[in-house]
Amino acid sequence: MRTFKFIAPAALALLLSAYRPLPTEKAVSDFKLLATTGRMVSLADYPKAKGFMVVFTCNHCPFAKVYFNRLNDLSKKYGALGVPLLAISSSDTVNFEEDGYGKMKEKTAKEHLTFPYLYDGSQATAVDFGAKKTPHAFVVWKENGKLVVKYAGAIDDNGAEPEKVVHHYLAEAVDALLAGKAVDVPETKSVGCTLGIRAKK
Amino acid sequence: MKLRTTLAAAALVTGSLGAQAQYNSLWIPDTLSGTTFNLYMKDTFVQFLTGNQTITAGINGAFWGPTLIFQKGDTVHMNVHNNLNDSTTLHWHGMHLPAVMDGGPHQIIPPGTEWQPYWKVTNTASTFWYHPHLNMETEAQIASGLGGFIIVRDSEESALTLPRTYGVDDIPLVLTSRSFDASNAFTTFSPYGDYMLTNGTMNAKTSLPKQYVRFRILNAELERGYNLGFSDNRTFYIIGTDGGLVDAPVAVTRVKILPGERTEFAVSFAGDAEGDSLDLMAYNSGLEFGFPGSEPSTSGAFGSLLNNTNFKVLHIYVSAATSGAVSSLPTTLTTNTYLTAADATVSRTLKVTDGVPGEGIGFRFDSTDFIMDTINKYVQLNTVEKWSVTNSNVFGHSFHIHDIQFKIISRSSGTIPSYEDGWKDTYYLHVNETVSFVTRFNDYADPLHPFMYHCHMAPHEDGGLMGQFVVDSATTGVAKTTESAPDLTLYPNPAKGTVFVSTSMQAYYITITNAVGHTMLMLPRPNLMKGIDVRNFAPGTYYLTFTDDKTKQSYTRQFVKYADL
Ligand SMILES: [Cu+2]
Repeated sequence: MRTFKFIAPAALALLLSAYRPLPTEKAVSDFKLLATTGRMVSLADYPKAKGFMVVFTCNHCPFAKVYFNRLNDLSKKYGALGVPLLAISSSDTVNFEEDGYGKMKEKTAKEHLTFPYLYDGSQATAVDFGAKKTPHAFVVWKENGKLVVKYAGAIDDNGAEPEKVVHHYLAEAVDALLAGKAVDVPETKSVGCTLGIRAKK
Repeated sequence: MKLRTTLAAAALVTGSLGAQAQYNSLWIPDTLSGTTFNLYMKDTFVQFLTGNQTITAGINGAFWGPTLIFQKGDTVHMNVHNNLNDSTTLHWHGMHLPAVMDGGPHQIIPPGTEWQPYWKVTNTASTFWYHPHLNMETEAQIASGLGGFIIVRDSEESALTLPRTYGVDDIPLVLTSRSFDASNAFTTFSPYGDYMLTNGTMNAKTSLPKQYVRFRILNAELERGYNLGFSDNRTFYIIGTDGGLVDAPVAVTRVKILPGERTEFAVSFAGDAEGDSLDLMAYNSGLEFGFPGSEPSTSGAFGSLLNNTNFKVLHIYVSAATSGAVSSLPTTLTTNTYLTAADATVSRTLKVTDGVPGEGIGFRFDSTDFIMDTINKYVQLNTVEKWSVTNSNVFGHSFHIHDIQFKIISRSSGTIPSYEDGWKDTYYLHVNETVSFVTRFNDYADPLHPFMYHCHMAPHEDGGLMGQFVVDSATTGVAKTTESAPDLTLYPNPAKGTVFVSTSMQAYYITITNAVGHTMLMLPRPNLMKGIDVRNFAPGTYYLTFTDDKTKQSYTRQFVKYADL
C-alpha cells in the first residue's frame, strides 16, 4: 500500500485519530512464561498483588539497556507495596542471537536483576499487550477478576540521563493507583527499538 | 502503511527554537580506507534536544556513517552487517558497479545478516555516498540517520594543487533537516525538517583556515533543496559535480543542490582576518514554485520552520592558515570528453505523471506503478543512449539513475547552469521542463538484477516514482537447462573455520542460512578460491544455496559447523 502525501492535513489528522486504538482500560490475559531462573512464571503466581508493572524489553536494544538499573529500583520499591515488576523479552531471537534465553540468563546474573526476566519466544504475550518497542511499559491492575491496563508507554522521559528525568510516567501511574486515584497520563509514546513480530509460518 | 504520528509537536518545537542560539562544533565523520570495509548498521540514539534522546540508526556510529576513501583501480570489499531490527539495503550512490552489488531494492539484507559485495573502483575522483534503498522504506531508513560519504581519489586529481586534507581544508558537509515530536522522536509527518542538521550537528560552527578551502556538499535530505551561498555573497568556485572534476573552476555566488546531488567547490578565506566569521547559507527564500522547501507553510503535511526562508547551514570562524595552504586554484582541472546527442543510437523518453492533489495516486513514471518484479527498460550493453525526462506535473523532482554517470545536453527551461556542466547522476527536474542527458551503458550486463532510476526525494521514491532497467548483452541470457544433478560438494564437512565449494559451475550468488532459516551470509559473485569463512558461526547445521551463473538455477547443500577446539 502506498502512503500518499498529498492528503489535506485536516483529513490526515482525522485518519490518524480514527486509527488510534485505546491501549488502556483494555483487559489482557495472564501468561505463563519461562523465567531466567528456570521456573515458569505467571501473574496468577502473585495472589496478593494489587497490580503489576509489565515491561517489554530485551538485551540488544541500546535504549532498553539503559533502563535495567531503573527496573531494579522500581521492582524493589513497588514490589514491597504489592505491585511487582516483571520484564518480558519478546524479541525475535532469529534476528538477534543476543536476545536468546541463554544470554538473558547471563544478563540476569551479571546485572543482578531483582525481578523475573521472562522469555516470550512465541511473541504471543507481546501481541496480546500490544507492545511496540523495547522498552514498552504497562501497568495492569486487578479489577473484578480481570487484568486491566491502566498505563502504557515509556518508563520515564529520559533514557540515557536518569538524573534529568522530569516525568516518571510508570512510577507516577502506580502511585496514583495505589492512592486510589485515576492515572493522570494513562498513555505516552514508548521510545526505543521497534519490537519486530515475526510472521507466523 | 506507515502512519505519521503526533501533530502537536510543531508548537513545542517552535517554543524551543528561540532558546537555541548557541553553536555546536561541526562533527566530521571518521574515515575508513584500504580495500576492506566493515560496516555495522544498528539502532541507537542521539541527544539532539534537551530531554529524551532521539532513537536513530547509525553505521559504525550513532547518526551518519564513516567516510569511505577509495582509490580508483582498487577492488573494494564491503562487509555490511545488518544489526538493525529491520531488513535493509545499502546502495553505493553514483558508483559504476555490477547490478548485483548495487544495493538497490533487490539486494535485501535481512536483519542479522552479513552482505559482502565487492567491485573494482572505476569512477574518477569525486564525492559519492551510500544509503539504504529498501522499497517503500527508504524515507524512514534515511531519516533515521543511515548513510555515509564515499570519496574516490585518483592520480589525476591527486596531482592538482587542490585542498585535500580531510577535515582541515577539505570539508565534507552532508545537509539534512529533521523535525521532532513531543517525545523527541524524529517525525517525517512533513518531509521538511524544522532543524537544520549539518553533518548531524544542529547550529553547526567550525574554524577554517585563512586559505582556499574545499567543500564536498551532499544533499542527503528527504525532500528539501538548498540554494547555497555565503552570507557576504562572496564568489566561490565549483570544481566538481556528482561524478568528477569539471574542466575548469566555475565562479558562482549561488549553487542549487537537490536530494542525492553532490557539488564540490573551493572558496578562499585568505582575504579574511583571523577571528572573522561568516555563514554558509541556504538562500531558500523566494525561490520558484516547485523548488522543494519553497512552500510557505510552517506546519502541516509540507510545513517546516525553514520553508521559504534563508537560514544558516554552517557558521564559519576564520583561523590561521595551515602550512600546506593552497593559495591559488589551477585554471585547468581536467579535460572531460563528453558524449553528445549525435553519439546516441537509442533515444528514450520518460514522463513524470500523476501526483495530482486529491486523486490519491502518487507520482509515477509514464502512469506506471513501480513493481518489484517488472523490468521497465532493457538496455543493450555498450549502447550510447539519450534519455529525455519530462515533468509536466505539479512539483519539482530530483532525477537519479544508477550504474552510470551522464552528461546533461539540454534543459528546455533554458541554459544548463554552469555548476552542473560536468558528470552527473542526479539533477533538479523543474516543473514544466524536459531535461535530456546522454550516457553509455558499459561493462556490466546482468539479465537478473536491475538498476533503478527514480526521484531522489524519498517520499516520491517510496510512493512509486521509480522504474528499473537491466543491462543485457547477447551473451548474458539465462540459459535453459535440464541438468538435474550438478556437481556441487562442500568440504570439509563438518567444517571448523572454512568451507570450500567444489564445483565446475561459476557462482552467481551464494547464501548461507542456519537451521532456523536465519540468513547468515549473502555473497554476490563470490571468489571461492579461499573458501568461505565461517569462523563467526555458532556450532550447528547450515544450508548453503548456490546459484549458477550460467543457468541462474539454485542448488542447496547442507554442512555442519563444529566448535573451535
Ligand atoms: Cu520527486
